[in-house]
Amino acid sequence: MADSYSQDSEPTTRTLLRRVLDTADTRTPQRRRSAGIGAQKSLLETPSSRRLSSSTKTNARRRSQRARSIGRLAHVQTSGHLEEQTPRTLLKNILLTAPESSIMMPESVVKPVPTPQVVQSSRQESIRGSLELQLPELEPPTTLALGLLAPGRRKRRLRLSVFQQGIDQGLPLSQEPCGNASASSLTSSLNLTFATPLQPQSVHRPGLARRPPTRRAVDVGAFLQDLQDTSLALASPDTVLEDTQPFSQPLVGHSPSVYHSLPCLSYTEAKDAEKAVSHRTQRSGPKLQNHSPGKPAQLLAGKAKKVDALAMSFPNTSSAIAGEDEVEPLQGGVGENAEERMEESLSVSEVKDTAGTQGSVRTDKSDRNETSEAVEAKEPEGSSGDENISGRTASPELASSTTEFLQARQLQFLESAPPPSTAILSSEPLEPLLTRLPPRARTLGPRPRQDPHKTGLNHYVKLFSFYAKMPMEKKALEMVEKCLDKYFQHLCDDLEVFAAHAGRKTVRPEDLELLMRRQGLVNDQVSLHVLVERHLPLEYRQLLIPCAFSGNSVFPAQ
Amino acid sequence: MAPSTTVSQRKKIKRKAPRGFLKRVFKRQKPHLRLETSGDLLVHLNCLLFVQRLAEESRMNAFENKCGVIKKEHVQAAAKVILKKSRG
Repeated sequence: MADSYSQDSEPTTRTLLRRVLDTADTRTPQRRRSAGIGAQKSLLETPSSRRLSSSTKTNARRRSQRARSIGRLAHVQTSGHLEEQTPRTLLKNILLTAPESSIMMPESVVKPVPTPQVVQSSRQESIRGSLELQLPELEPPTTLALGLLAPGRRKRRLRLSVFQQGIDQGLPLSQEPCGNASASSLTSSLNLTFATPLQPQSVHRPGLARRPPTRRAVDVGAFLQDLQDTSLALASPDTVLEDTQPFSQPLVGHSPSVYHSLPCLSYTEAKDAEKAVSHRTQRSGPKLQNHSPGKPAQLLAGKAKKVDALAMSFPNTSSAIAGEDEVEPLQGGVGENAEERMEESLSVSEVKDTAGTQGSVRTDKSDRNETSEAVEAKEPEGSSGDENISGRTASPELASSTTEFLQARQLQFLESAPPPSTAILSSEPLEPLLTRLPPRARTLGPRPRQDPHKTGLNHYVKLFSFYAKMPMEKKALEMVEKCLDKYFQHLCDDLEVFAAHAGRKTVRPEDLELLMRRQGLVNDQVSLHVLVERHLPLEYRQLLIPCAFSGNSVFPAQ
Repeated sequence: MAPSTTVSQRKKIKRKAPRGFLKRVFKRQKPHLRLETSGDLLVHLNCLLFVQRLAEESRMNAFENKCGVIKKEHVQAAAKVILKKSRG
């Protein structure tokens, strides 16, 4: 029946439709209808059957044009009217046939209808009902829809498979097609098909479906490193607070305070120190150049040992060192020291702090003397070590004194028998540890005095560049900084003079006003309040300009 | 509102006064003196005006030299003038 149709001017859509119709012919919609879309169909069928009985094609056509859209009519009707080849009829045929043909799992799809789907099924019915009304009006878009439908069918199949994959993964793929309320009912019906398989799986909590978390094997070494780093970071605020001393006192006087103030930090840093120390001892004592690759187990054990031995080992080592310091000459470990200093220049900074704390533990001036001698003896020997040493000594006194202690410590640890508990550590994992920690330890070092001063100045420098509205050179900005420094000096001097003139030791706003008057900013035309209002934000204005409030109160009080 | 605060700014300019910084500077310079709370803000105002004048002067210098960029020399010359003015 369908074959008899002649090809029309629109090959694409119509040919597709033809194919559709041909395939549709083979499957009687009645069978599919029985699979059960609802009572609505049966209801719709009755009028269609009534219309079937009517003989004239035209009458039936007119009515069936509406009825066909409503229900799945028998092919007789559709085939009978297909001869007309109007887009509407073709579309209706497709509507009749396409959903049925597109149902991949006809029964499994339709059968499980849990409660959420009732809504959707009713939606489907409502959509169909809307279709009844819409189709007569949708003639123009139908041609487009026709073109879409056939390729859409293939896409639908793809989508379904993809969708099922998504379901397995728990992804809410179905939401997207559900969202589209497109004109074609197919997609809406397809929404159902998509939704139904989802339902059984997502009955519990669709939104909470998650992929199983990918688990990586835990690297114990990295984990322990992180532990240490966090402990360091936790302890760091103490150092930061303590090291903001702008002036660096000599270590002897300073170290006790440092020690007392950094109990926890010294604990953690001593761990690092012991690591570094044991590292060095291992290399120097047995002179092992080949280190066994880091074993997490060893590291773990070593760290545990370190933690335990920390309290005990320090006094032991300190006493041992003190004893051995006098005994051992410098020569033995000098070369090694130089080497190791060079090699471990990175780790020096972090060990500096530890050495500082360790030095504080000892607080022996004799040690210090000897270490200073050791330093002098070493310096000519270590050529590249010199740079390091000089670089270190160039840094604030605290650091330099700690370096002396560090070198002393190196000496002593090299020569003395390493503490047994800490000796048996693999050095390789220590190296990455040491190299990792130093960059952080550097920032934890004593802060240069300029920083807060410079940041404050930079605020005004930025304002300068803003007011200038022109690009500026970096040198110009530095010049601005210098000018600001001079300006602040002048300002403070003037304020002092004004306050002294008024017999006061506190600088008050009146002094400031006088200063601005003398500068020419404030005159009889422009008062201070005007300037305040012009340039300062509201919060400051409220603080400066007295304002009357309710209850006969003035703020700020005069 | 004051015109300066309503200028549309491409860069983010903080309008806050670095009160701690100012207090610290004053204390460093004159440890025997004390600075009042609101005096802090007036000092900030003074700095703002100083910087404004300095910038204006440098801009004029750069324009006079027909330069599109403010250079060190412009700033230096401007600083001489403005510092002399704000001597008090």
